[in-house]
Amino acid sequence: MSKGAPPDDLTTALAACATGDRAALRRIFDREGGRLVTIAERIVRRRDLAEEVVQESFIRIWTQAHQYQPDRGSARGWIYAIVRNRALNLLRDGRREYSVADVEQLQERDQVDHVMAAWHRLDHTSRLRDCLGALEENKRRGILMAYIGGYSHGEIAGRLRIPLGTTKSWIRRGLSALRECMA
Amino acid sequence: MTGNPVEIGVVADEYVLGLLDAADMLRIEAEMDRDPELRAAIAASRERFLPLDETAEAAIVGDALWRRIEDGLPAQRAERKVSPTATANDNRAGGWRATALAATAAAVVLAVALTFSLMRTVEPLVVAVLVNEAGDIKAIVEDFGNKTAAVRLLADVAVPEGKTIEVWTLPSPARGPVSLGRIDDARSARLDGPALPEPHDSQLYELTLEPAGGSPTGRPTGVILAKGFAKIPR
Repeated sequence: MSKGAPPDDLTTALAACATGDRAALRRIFDREGGRLVTIAERIVRRRDLAEEVVQESFIRIWTQAHQYQPDRGSARGWIYAIVRNRALNLLRDGRREYSVADVEQLQERDQVDHVMAAWHRLDHTSRLRDCLGALEENKRRGILMAYIGGYSHGEIAGRLRIPLGTTKSWIRRGLSALRECMA
Repeated sequence: MTGNPVEIGVVADEYVLGLLDAADMLRIEAEMDRDPELRAAIAASRERFLPLDETAEAAIVGDALWRRIEDGLPAQRAERKVSPTATANDNRAGGWRATALAATAAAVVLAVALTFSLMRTVEPLVVAVLVNEAGDIKAIVEDFGNKTAAVRLLADVAVPEGKTIEVWTLPSPARGPVSLGRIDDARSARLDGPALPEPHDSQLYELTLEPAGGSPTGRPTGVILAKGFAKIPR
């Protein structure tokens, strides 16, 4: 990681949040809120749930802003991680399955399209793009489904029609190859 | 952690991708606070995958979402009334872990409480699960608005001679803590409190130990026995 040496706007805004500056939280919301709703929606698959995730996440960003340190990565990565984790937790509570059970099949194709669309939109000059591109198709798909769509090992195994154990070890190997490639 | 960088790398990636189950996820989050190597591995993993999030096109969000966020914001630590007992332990990692575990446990209790409240005719506007500093669940407060609340003790609370338990809430930082009443015999009770604005999401509720007859100052003066933030049943 070579970037982020001078504190960026988000780092400054987080520091201000920790002192009780609501306008700073608003700045983060104005800048990132819309994109965070999309990121959450890719995982929870419903706009209303995605907004709920973002709402709860911003309260968490506010209450935990004092814990942010640069050794936790970029301010942006830290903020996004809060939203992603909140969305994943909501999935684990079973709300996605429960609430979309009947339309699941209709949405399934769209959802896989979402995952692949993100892959195609990925900056073609980025290192991540190169390194993911170097992976075998199934490993790449598995990693993208997990990260973008919030799929579990079991869901990925089912979608790709691969045994669970194989899926887990493929993803692990894919992740290791990715780490080496990007090091 | 094993200390093996390859293992740490794997765990960090699986955590960031959301492939760990809930228990492992909590464990990693606790570990992350005291293990700099794991913290660095997770930070690096987040940065590696961040470009995928950057492919997301911003949704158009209305002002309503921001208003809901703003309404739920608690006061920051610096603005809050400092409790004399809260600073004894500066071990942030420990406290954090306890909070994480408490949050999980609290979610379970909350689910039970909500199921329970669904079976009655009068619905509480908010429910708060109160935990002590160690993260143990001590009580649930149901606030019905309209000057009534109910507190349900879920653990035995030792009340010394000449003391009582007082129930507080913080309707807004500007107004400060307001007493909802006392539970003199340390048992679950219904409280008739003062007229307050309708309770909101994330409103703070707490139990303190006060001299018999209640706090002499009208503000919490004693040890905090348990506290928690309200949730709106849905």
